[in-house]
Amino acid sequence: MSAEDVPVPKDPADALAAVVALRLLADRLEDAAVEQAMRAGWSWPDVAEALGVTRQAVHKRHAKRLIAAGVTLRRRR
Amino acid sequence: MSAIDHYINAVIERGAAEAQEDGSAATEAHHLLLAIAAHEGTTAHRVLATAGLGRQAIRAALDREFEHSLSTVGVTLASFDLPKPSAARTPSKVGATARLALERGFAAATGKKDLRPVHLLLGVLDTEIGTVPRALALAGADRVDLMARARETLAGESW
Repeated sequence: MSAEDVPVPKDPADALAAVVALRLLADRLEDAAVEQAMRAGWSWPDVAEALGVTRQAVHKRHAKRLIAAGVTLRRRR
Repeated sequence: MSAIDHYINAVIERGAAEAQEDGSAATEAHHLLLAIAAHEGTTAHRVLATAGLGRQAIRAALDREFEHSLSTVGVTLASFDLPKPSAARTPSKVGATARLALERGFAAATGKKDLRPVHLLLGVLDTEIGTVPRALALAGADRVDLMARARETLAGESW
């Protein structure tokens, strides 16, 4: 989908609210996807590279909750 | 700590728990509204409950707003078969909308001694922009009338 194909709501309030909703959806999707990857044995550096963020960022955001969830975390391949 | 300090802490803590359940990275104004609705024994809680806005009703309204906002850009939640994460991340910060709501709530009181739970409710409601007014409108709730009812209670000394 090109940028021109993204439907932009006519009302600015709707368009801005859509941005907020998409961010929340992306956050939820990230939580689910990172957990799925780590359960499948992915390493932090690989998950970070796939998300396009630093290893430190992905670790800071997800390590605590994944450890709490009992996910076995790999340090490196 | 005074009673209002305890109340503010409780609302912020409960708001953070709501944000966590939501999968949100920060506590936002609508999480504070859920917290205010869940905290019984206050005038703020009674004003919301009288309008049919219990915690569950507000949660349902927020879910509707979320789906509605996504739909305006052609996204449906049904197309995402999201597995629920085993544990949500802990929201580490109070978001910009929650800060604004708290500031407006403090500004609604004439001073710290006057500050009561209903001022916090007024702070959350006192905006035409964002998730809270959108969700209330979708739920058929009259935000302006709700604010008027909240203000009416200020004349008394009710907590």
